[in-house]
Amino acid sequence: MSAISTKGNGWLESTGVLLRFCGRIMGEVYSLKVFRYFGEALRQCGILILSSTIVIWSLIFIIGLQCGIEGAYFNRSVGSPAYAGVFAAWCDLRELVPYSFGYMMAAKVGTGIVAELGSMRISDEIDALEVMGVPSMTFLCSTKLLAAWMVLPFVYLSGVGAGFFASYLAVVQQIGEVSSGGYQLIFWMFQNPPDLLYSVIKGMAMATTIVLVGCYYGYNASGGPVGVGTATAKSMVLNIVLVHVIGMLGTQLFWGANPRAPIGG
Amino acid sequence: MSMETTDDYQWHTGRTTPVENAAIEFIGVKKAFGRNQVLNGLDMALPEDQISMILGPSGTGKSVCIKHMVGLLYPDDGDVLIHGQSVPAMPDDDLFEMRKKFGVLFQDGALFGSMNLYDNVAFPLRQHTDKGEDEIAHIVNQRLDEVGLGDANDKMPNELSGGMRKRAGFARALVLDPDIVLFDEPDSGLDPVRTALLCELIQEIHAENGGAYVVITHDIASARRVAEYIAVLWKGQIVESGAATDLFESSNPFVRQFLSGESQGPLGME
Repeated sequence: MSAISTKGNGWLESTGVLLRFCGRIMGEVYSLKVFRYFGEALRQCGILILSSTIVIWSLIFIIGLQCGIEGAYFNRSVGSPAYAGVFAAWCDLRELVPYSFGYMMAAKVGTGIVAELGSMRISDEIDALEVMGVPSMTFLCSTKLLAAWMVLPFVYLSGVGAGFFASYLAVVQQIGEVSSGGYQLIFWMFQNPPDLLYSVIKGMAMATTIVLVGCYYGYNASGGPVGVGTATAKSMVLNIVLVHVIGMLGTQLFWGANPRAPIGG
Repeated sequence: MSMETTDDYQWHTGRTTPVENAAIEFIGVKKAFGRNQVLNGLDMALPEDQISMILGPSGTGKSVCIKHMVGLLYPDDGDVLIHGQSVPAMPDDDLFEMRKKFGVLFQDGALFGSMNLYDNVAFPLRQHTDKGEDEIAHIVNQRLDEVGLGDANDKMPNELSGGMRKRAGFARALVLDPDIVLFDEPDSGLDPVRTALLCELIQEIHAENGGAYVVITHDIASARRVAEYIAVLWKGQIVESGAATDLFESSNPFVRQFLSGESQGPLGME
């Protein structure tokens, strides 16, 4: 069979099958084969924009409020309320914006992909694509990955903006123990453009993983509607674990050796 | 592997009418799923330009045969030839090209749930041809009219009855004028009248377009209506195959029992 559709038995074999599946999808994007179905990729872009951006931004906004509130109260408790921007800057950009982006991607986009592909699998739609001479992995999976790469960096960057704005609202407007200028001086002092780039890399690594895992579980779903439900649950569990692994490794890699904190000159 | 006894194959006489111009050939095909040996050395040839039927009790591997023909499954052993070309030996690109020869009607139509009827039928044309939208619209409307769905082209698949989905799937299978059309149990879930109408439709369109049509079924009434060539499959091998008129006159007790739908005979509930 041309498509990779066999599931491994043990966890090691399953991991190998999953990685081979992901490698093939990414290979079809890198080899530009996916551009034969660019129209489908654009359709997927539209679906992502219309159905997922608002919920992603909403969650990030709420998390931004939380970072601001937490930062304001913590810095008040140690006698330095003017430095709430330190906490907010790091909390937003380095940790919770990527995590909340990953959570909502997994919950909305990842599970949506599993449900869509899984239902196509059990109703023979994927087989129908194949027998029409359309490579189903390219048409269904690689186009989704390409769409994610085209759309999500902008969604993420806008999300970062939403998180920053929310933290500003919480610290300056809601709690109000620091002036707007004072907050922004500290907030921007504790981050720089490379930090933003690293944050985007973290978010895109999560997004790529979530799309690939969703495609794998959906494309290989079996066992009728119950099987699709089980595959959706499994993909959610794996995605949440992987979001945290990527978050942890990203923090260690980008800020572990050099936290880039302008403290002590 | 299932427990086999020599009695399992006592009715498999291998009597067959030689097929001079085969569209599809199975040569010693074996296929197992886990311990379940579905095809067990299947030798079968299906002729060009005829409506062939693969008949057999449920679970004998009829749908597995279809999946082998289009390369959705590969045999564990043996070979499958389409117009003389080996399907398992084809590289992926050749396989996708070869599949353009086929139109397949799946059991439930397998229409794309995210597209309306018109877009479902237009899909193969948009993917594989350079035709403009006007020409595509002409072909799609013609095919939908042929299957009696000319007024339903903006309906979504979940708004259609089972029979309508099958007819829509038939229209989509025909839209590229395929050389070979495969029907996976086109009568399943249909009432006798609609089954008869669908059989008539298959005959009419075959008479118009020609090509090798292969129908998988266990419905004997459908076989009597449309079959020109019949292969009876059981336990992963052909019991007998040949011209439909010959098979309906067969003296083989298994074939006679199956084609007359009687409860008495070698085929039991096991």
